[in-house]
This record gives sequence, structure tokens and C-alpha cells, in this order.
Amino acid sequence: MEFKLEAHRIVSISLGKIYNSRVQRGGIKLHKNLLVSLVLRSARQVYLSDPCPGLYLAGSAGTPAPPTPQPGEPTAQPPAGWGEPPPPAPRAAWPDTEPQPERPAVPDAPRAVDPEPAAAVTGAGDAFRGREEDTAEAAWGRVDRPRVAAAVAVSDVSPEGASVGCPPTREEQPGASPAADCRCAPRPAEAEPSAPPALYPRKRGAAGAGGGHAGCPALCSTPLKKPRRDGGEEDGEEEMETGNVANLISIFGSSFSGLLRKSPGGGREEEEGEESGPEDAEPGQICCDKPVLRDINPWSTAIVAF
Amino acid sequence: MFSGPRQRGLRLLTHAEWCGVPSEADIISTVEFNYSGDLLATGDKGGRVVIFQREQESKSRPHSRGEYNVYSTFQSHEPEFDYLKSLEIEEKINKIRWLPQQNAAHFLLSTNDKTIKLWKISERDKRAEGYNLKDEDGRLRDPFRITALRVPILKPMDLMVEASPRRIFANAHTYHINSISVNSDHETYLSADDLRINLWHLEITDRSFNIVDIKPANMEELTEVITAAEFHPHQCNVFVYSSSKGTIRLCDMRSSALCDRHSKFFEEPEDPSSRSFFSEIISSISDVKFSHSGRYMMTRDYLSVKVWDLNMESRPVETHQVHEYLRSKLCSLYENDCIFDKFECCWNGSDSAIMTGSYNNFFRMFDRNTRRDVTLEASRENSKPRASLKPRKVCTGGKRKKDEISVDSLDFNKKILHTAWHPMENIIAVAATNNLYIFQDKIN
Repeated sequence: MEFKLEAHRIVSISLGKIYNSRVQRGGIKLHKNLLVSLVLRSARQVYLSDPCPGLYLAGSAGTPAPPTPQPGEPTAQPPAGWGEPPPPAPRAAWPDTEPQPERPAVPDAPRAVDPEPAAAVTGAGDAFRGREEDTAEAAWGRVDRPRVAAAVAVSDVSPEGASVGCPPTREEQPGASPAADCRCAPRPAEAEPSAPPALYPRKRGAAGAGGGHAGCPALCSTPLKKPRRDGGEEDGEEEMETGNVANLISIFGSSFSGLLRKSPGGGREEEEGEESGPEDAEPGQICCDKPVLRDINPWSTAIVAF
Repeated sequence: MFSGPRQRGLRLLTHAEWCGVPSEADIISTVEFNYSGDLLATGDKGGRVVIFQREQESKSRPHSRGEYNVYSTFQSHEPEFDYLKSLEIEEKINKIRWLPQQNAAHFLLSTNDKTIKLWKISERDKRAEGYNLKDEDGRLRDPFRITALRVPILKPMDLMVEASPRRIFANAHTYHINSISVNSDHETYLSADDLRINLWHLEITDRSFNIVDIKPANMEELTEVITAAEFHPHQCNVFVYSSSKGTIRLCDMRSSALCDRHSKFFEEPEDPSSRSFFSEIISSISDVKFSHSGRYMMTRDYLSVKVWDLNMESRPVETHQVHEYLRSKLCSLYENDCIFDKFECCWNGSDSAIMTGSYNNFFRMFDRNTRRDVTLEASRENSKPRASLKPRKVCTGGKRKKDEISVDSLDFNKKILHTAWHPMENIIAVAATNNLYIFQDKIN
């Protein structure tokens, strides 16, 4: 349990650092962000693999390590909202909580995101590491089983409705987070994921272009290196941001898209803009989810904050 | 300097403080002696370079004892703005490296995150007087008034030290430059950023060769970055670069144009028992330095300094703990960002001792022969001109003895990241935030 709490805390801190790095003078420091993302990944893994009945973690379902199944949790409540037949559910939930002012993971508002993020997180983690497709798929597989109608789409507002791959749930999840590389990856039962939509048309970078990651070999960047050109170089820094952040997006969903923007102001606007999308799309679902959102554990809040 | 305290000790030679309105610009960001040790260059976050020169000890000024005084100050880099990416480029000087002296002038390379500059520092102690076309004030004379011609004569003047930028090496790095290193051929140098290393010729600014590129085709597969790079002191075809994963690669430029494949790979297996969330961060190497002999190299990671024999890749030959007591505090250090501090390390002239910095204005010196180490403090209160530095001790637990400092009382804002050792003598320069201390080992 302590590990879980510590892991949670570390994740919150890490997210804060990544957020702050955007506004730092001198531009985003690749080295530091890489290290922070490694810590984030480790903490997330620990968090997910540390079984803890008290928390709403769908972790039980989605963790790579065989966890003790959480009694009905995943399908029970907060997930109740999620549990609904999919399509709208997840997205609705997200937009609702996004307008929260604080970006950095501040665990206060409760929110039922768990099953989702857990799954997403797993996938993301795998993605980030460029793991074997199998692992990713396996992870996703685990997520799926316990939750039939799992609303897995911690997704960004995707221009294309078609869920690109992630969360393999049978239901069409509108817009699985497109920017997330890993999102594509975990597609246990499916064929190759279609090319990720350009969620962030402005900043495709690696995330967009790269499409999947290790998990989607077909989509994966080709083994050949990009030609070393200045033009390519220019994208480098942007790609870096996109890449890192895209991973996190896959973990935390659409709210994260704001991080791709360099200016906090711009970011927020975009975020809110995107949120309005799903909200408009599934008003009904929102109502349903709202009450649920209150009973949330801090962990989810962190995710929600983004 | 490791023997009895009464006989020898480090005495303060010079203390310089960067003052002004307290600002971040005054923080020293790099320190480097030149090849003779007579000049010491420092760079700061405000983009300035200040060069100190050792006073010649002379009978007429016996009290100066070979102090270092300010020799030249100039603004090397200014803040810039990259409009394309909407990024500000910091003017902070990341590294300074001297070129070997070839004539009366001195040359050094200074770099910020994106641009490297070659500066010429020259002295002027004479000026011409008696111009025909202008008078002593410099005002132009009316040509019609000139009735006779004279030859200007050189007259002595007060010494003036001028710094002028001779070359600007720009636009070659997408990521932040972390190292520069002058080759032993004295014609080329390398510059390294997070993902690439470029080779330059000192005379050519519009072209550089990319010799290492570790950027993955898909940035999401990025797992490590380059943290430091250096040329071998004698073999002009060999250089090393360290990574954020705690590994060092030695490359030979003769083997191929692009040195993505290393010739040697140095890595110490990780100790699984000490694994934590932060294992990866603390294994990231922040500095790598060849010994003067070229036989060894030293790496600095967050908690230790390791000496490697170039002939043995499997593990270092020596590991020195700098501040092992911080291992249990890693989480707090992560929170306050201290875990990302990049400490440097340096060898003494004979490679018998190494030095590196720590927190609370402490710095550590390790004698490789006697295996003794000492912790010293660089601070104004503790540096009386005639007294030698007293060894300090950090209490790691249990009862704190007198004169010991407990780990919790350490001031993590007072960090010594940059130190330099005179190439031949026992004189060290230690940068503590906005203060520079130069100590000399003297016998009583």
C-alpha cells in the first residue's frame, strides 16, 4: 500500500515537472524529460502492480503483474459510468473533469477513470518502452476480460470518430487517443491499427507519423533512420515533445493534449476546445457520469487533471 | 594535501564573488584552467566570461603569493529567440575550453545551448601616437591643414585586454549542447548535444561533420541521450561519450565516418538490490574526463565517481562514493529537482587525485594512491586567508559528533557543480553558486 501511495505521489510530481518544463526558459530539456518519464513509468508500474483493495484501481484488471482481482470494482461503480455501453461513456467522463484549472496532477477531485487509465497506462508503458507487441496485447487482453464493456477510450478528441485501435474493446470507442502511439499498439484482437489520426495536426511529429509504436509493427517507424537533414532536425525537438507527451497522453487521455502546446494559454484553450467536442457529442452520458465522478480517489484525479 | 593538517593544507588564494542585483545571471556555470594554468576562465548564466590571471610572484609584491586576479571580462553569448520554434535560447555558458597557446594571444571556445564561439583574447600595451589624419582625440583633421607628415610612434599604455569573437559556429545542433572538446590535433573539436556529436574544424564555421547520431527514427523509442563527450588527450582519432543510462562508448573515427558503432562499450552491471524508482536517474553520467595520461577515464554519476581503465570495459577499476548518505533521500531530491544536478569532476595534473563537488558547498577530493578522501567546504566563513581548510564530515546517522553536520541540515541550494584543477600545481578552483574560490596547497 505504501508503495502505491508513494508511486502515486511520484507520478503526480513527475507530471508536474513535465508540465513545468514547457514553460521553462531555454526550451524543453530532452534529458531531464526523458529521466522524468522513466520515473513516471516505473512509478506507474509499481502502482499498477501493487494490489490494494482499497483503491479503485482497475489495476487488478489491467496490470501486467498478476494482481488480485478487485472485487467487482472495475465493473461496479465509478466504472459504472464507464461500464455503460461504451461509445460515449469514456469520452464523456473526460471532458467533464478536464476543465479543472490545475494541470499538474493534483489529486483532489475524485473521478472514476481507473479502469481506463489503468489499461491505458499499461499500454502506454509498453509503448513507451517499445515492448513487444505481445506484451502490450497481453496487457490489453487482461484489461478486456474483466470488463466487458470497458470504456477504455481515454481518448483525445479525435477528429476521426473511428477509434484508432486502442482499446481494443469491441465497441467502437470513439477516438481512442490518436496521438498516443501506444494506444495503437494494444490491439489484441485486431489487425493492424489504422494510422493514427492526426489529432494534433500541427504537431504530428513522431507521435502522429510514427503511428503505433512497438506494438504496431506494421505501423512502426521503419528500421531505416530518417535521412539526416536539417529539415528533419527541425522536427526533432517537436517530435521529442510529441513523443514523450504522446505516451503520457495515452495514459491520461485527452486533457494531456494541452501539453503539446508550448504556451500554457494556448494549451488550455485547446484542451477546453477539445473537451467541448465530446461533451456536445454525448450530453446524455455526462449527466450519467457526473455523480460518479465525485467518488474518486486521488490517483484518478491526477490523471483527470490532465 | 592529504597528510597531517598542520603541515600542509589548502589555503584560500583568491575569492571572487559575482555581485550585483542578486540574480540568476551571476551563477557560475563553468570553470576551466588553460594549458599552463596561468589563466582561469569562468562562464556564468548571464552569458559572460570572466578570465583570471595568475599574478607573477615577485619580490616586489611578496604578499600576492601568486593570486589570481581578473584579467578580462566580456559578454560571450546573448539570449536569443528561435522564432521558428518559439523558443528562447539561454545565454548561459555551458562549457569553456581553451585552445593550446600558439602565439601571444589566447584562444578559447565557449558555448551555450546552441552556438559555439571562438574568442581571441589579446593584450595591448602599446598604442600608436602621432597620426597624420587625426589628432590625439581621434577627431579627423582637416586635410588641408596638414602641412607635414610624420611617422606615428608606438608608446606604452596601460595594459588592455581585448576579447574578440573570431569564429561563430552556429546552427548545427537541434538539441542542447552539453559538451565541447578540443582535439589533440589542435585543429578540430567536437560538440555534443543530447542526440548528436559534431566534428568541426576551427577554421570552418559553415560546415560540421556529424560523427554520432543516436536519434531514433521514432522519437518514442528514445531511451537514452548523450550527456558528455571528450576527445582522447593524445589519440586524435579517439573520443568517448557518456549516456544517461550510465554507459560510456569509446569511438574511433578511423573505423567509419559515422561513429554510431562504438569500439568499446563501458558499463557496470547494475546492482539489483539497490533498485528504486530513481535508479535510472542516478546512474545517468553527468561528466566524463580522460586522465592526463590517457590511460584512464573518470565518470561522475549522481552519487559516485568511477575511474575506468580504457582496457577494461566490464567495470570501473575504482568507485568513490561522493555522498552515499543521499541514497535514502532520493525522493526528496527528486521533488526539489536536485537529483538532476550535473556535477563535474576533474583530475589533478599527475592523475593521482580526483575532485568533485557536492551540496552545502562541500567538495570532495580522493587520493587514488593512498585511498584517502576528504570533504572540504568552500565558503566565505570557512576560508580565512591564512588558515587551511578544515575537513568536514557529514553525520549519517546516530549521534552527531561535534563539528559534524547532519544530512538534514545540508543546504541543497549550495551546490558545487564545477571544479577545476591546475594542470601542474596543487591549485584548485571551486565554483559555489556565484562565488569562485581558488585554493592552493601550501606548506606551513
